[in-house]
Amino acid sequence: MFDLAIFGQHLLNGVLIGCAYALIAIGLTMIFGVMNIANFAHGEFYMLGGFAAFYLVSLLKLNYFIALPVAVLLVLALAVAIQQAIFKRLRDAPVMTTTLVTIGLSILLEHVALLLWGPQPQVVPTPFPTRPLSFFGIYTTPLYLFSMAVTAALIVVGHVLIQRTRMGKAMRATFQNREAAALVGVRIDRVYLYAFAFGAALAAAAGAVLGGFIPVEPTMGGIATLKAFVVVILGGMGSFVGAIVGGLLLGLAEALGAGYFSSGWKDAIGFVAVILLLLFRPDGLFKRA
Amino acid sequence: MKLKFCVVAVAFALAHTAAAQETVKIGVVQPLTGPVAYDGNIYVNTVKMLVDDMNARGGVLGKKIELVVEDGACNPAQSVNAAEKLATRDKVVALLGAFCSTSSAAMMEVARKHKIPHLTGISTAAQLTEQNNPYFFRAVATTPMLGAAFGGELPAAVKGKRFAFLVINDDWGRSMVSSYPKPIERAGGQIVGTEFFQSSELQFLSYITKIKAANPDAIILAANTQHAVALSKQIRELGIAAPLIGEGSWTSDSYLKLAGPAAEGVYGLVEYVYTIRNPINDAFVKMSRDKLKDNPSKFAGAAHNGIHIMVDAIRRARAADPEKIRAALTTTDYNGLVGNIRFNEKNQAYGQDVYLALVKNGVPEVVRTARIAKP
Repeated sequence: MFDLAIFGQHLLNGVLIGCAYALIAIGLTMIFGVMNIANFAHGEFYMLGGFAAFYLVSLLKLNYFIALPVAVLLVLALAVAIQQAIFKRLRDAPVMTTTLVTIGLSILLEHVALLLWGPQPQVVPTPFPTRPLSFFGIYTTPLYLFSMAVTAALIVVGHVLIQRTRMGKAMRATFQNREAAALVGVRIDRVYLYAFAFGAALAAAAGAVLGGFIPVEPTMGGIATLKAFVVVILGGMGSFVGAIVGGLLLGLAEALGAGYFSSGWKDAIGFVAVILLLLFRPDGLFKRA
Repeated sequence: MKLKFCVVAVAFALAHTAAAQETVKIGVVQPLTGPVAYDGNIYVNTVKMLVDDMNARGGVLGKKIELVVEDGACNPAQSVNAAEKLATRDKVVALLGAFCSTSSAAMMEVARKHKIPHLTGISTAAQLTEQNNPYFFRAVATTPMLGAAFGGELPAAVKGKRFAFLVINDDWGRSMVSSYPKPIERAGGQIVGTEFFQSSELQFLSYITKIKAANPDAIILAANTQHAVALSKQIRELGIAAPLIGEGSWTSDSYLKLAGPAAEGVYGLVEYVYTIRNPINDAFVKMSRDKLKDNPSKFAGAAHNGIHIMVDAIRRARAADPEKIRAALTTTDYNGLVGNIRFNEKNQAYGQDVYLALVKNGVPEVVRTARIAKP
């Protein structure tokens, strides 16, 4: 018995979560592509975005729509500080060193969050009505639609920034060949700073927006990092378009796989896909752009 | 200079042993970090509050009670290390804790090795009391016992026949799925769907959509605070109006506050809820509101039972001696928060009340009460 409304619901769930995966993964893939850093602390920026939005709205009573960009800016500022204090000094360090540093950073950020804000989950208060909307038996809420719109808009903005601006061009040049880019006058340190801060800001935006229906808690970054790595590997390390398509694919595969196959295998789907891909198409579905 | 240092060191050592003689040390292992840290902290804060109160009234055996708290993180290895440290370095005479059943299962072997009585008030996996471990006691009904007490009442309580499970994928969730269906089916209900979620998840849309396709009259859940908040919000957001029946944190203040309107009409299947009326609970609720600024949750209730049963046993043992305390625990006949508690030959508690509470206007009201039969 095939129920079209239920199928539509699975599709909608998949796109909603897929957009979020894509948004987090874009930042990760940028940091990897430009800086050659596998950032295991990426999920922590997602977590910090959620907490920042929560405290701005609930404690400082800031308007929700102002709090979201402010939360992202706060995390961006932290990312700038981290880049200047740590990764700038590790510019020529081997990948293993930077990877270990990001793992340490991830543990540090998670536990500082735990100390500062405690383990209790928080939900970012939103001005949206909680009553679900229904279209032909498919249910959603204004918040879900808003989240989808924001994540999709940010993905487009990110794409335009990379493809159309001078800094985007400099990033792409650095990605292709760092030495050559430096030779023609690209300021590598600045490119790295922009890539790291922008990547962290996108993850923070995902955390701030999703925090309205997925509770924010200090340990949530770990699984987000893993999922983002799945997406990045699916789409090809360093590929912007790959991260978008990979994110949507993973979201849809999880939703439909859990819906029609077995929900116990939901998390396995992405990782099995990664293993198969690495075996048969190690550059990802999309070769480096 | 060196001599002076030695004198100071010796003085400290003497002071330390003197202090050690004056207190009765009880070790607590609870998750203070990790996925269930929130509820673990509630347990610890409540035990601390109650011990302060007991000490203000003179402690036990004329000595002060000293709590030594360690983080087990709901992780078996870390819980074992914590218990080892408490047994060997701190020389505690009794152990309370480990939240998650897998951690308690690991920790009780440490208790057996060092011959220290170990009491849990939270871990409900049935097999824990089947290990022939004379040092391990459980002061809470297991999921099968709760299922036996309440499963048959659910169809009438929610006026429905079709039930679906959406439970956490661990011992607890799985034992729920294996123990509730029989009494439900005997009472005329049927099970139309079963889904397990992972503890690392907070986004359940695909599970919920799948359950929605089965069109249940009520959904039975096993979840603690952070999962419960996300589950109830997301279930309502996908347009399911069926009542939710949950084991876990479904009536705790933190859940009610965080879930807001999504908590309305939720049934909690609980070992303790703060709205029960008896003098012991009235005093407990007042103290919690004064000191912890919160109504006690079921984990606070577990803490109340645990520390009182243990201190009662120490008092009856007439000595801070682990072996004597263990013997005293077996003859426990404690009248407390949720009625009378005794232990059977497997050291499993029985005789206490359990509650089905319905959330109305943010307050869990007891709609049915059942008594746990001797297993």
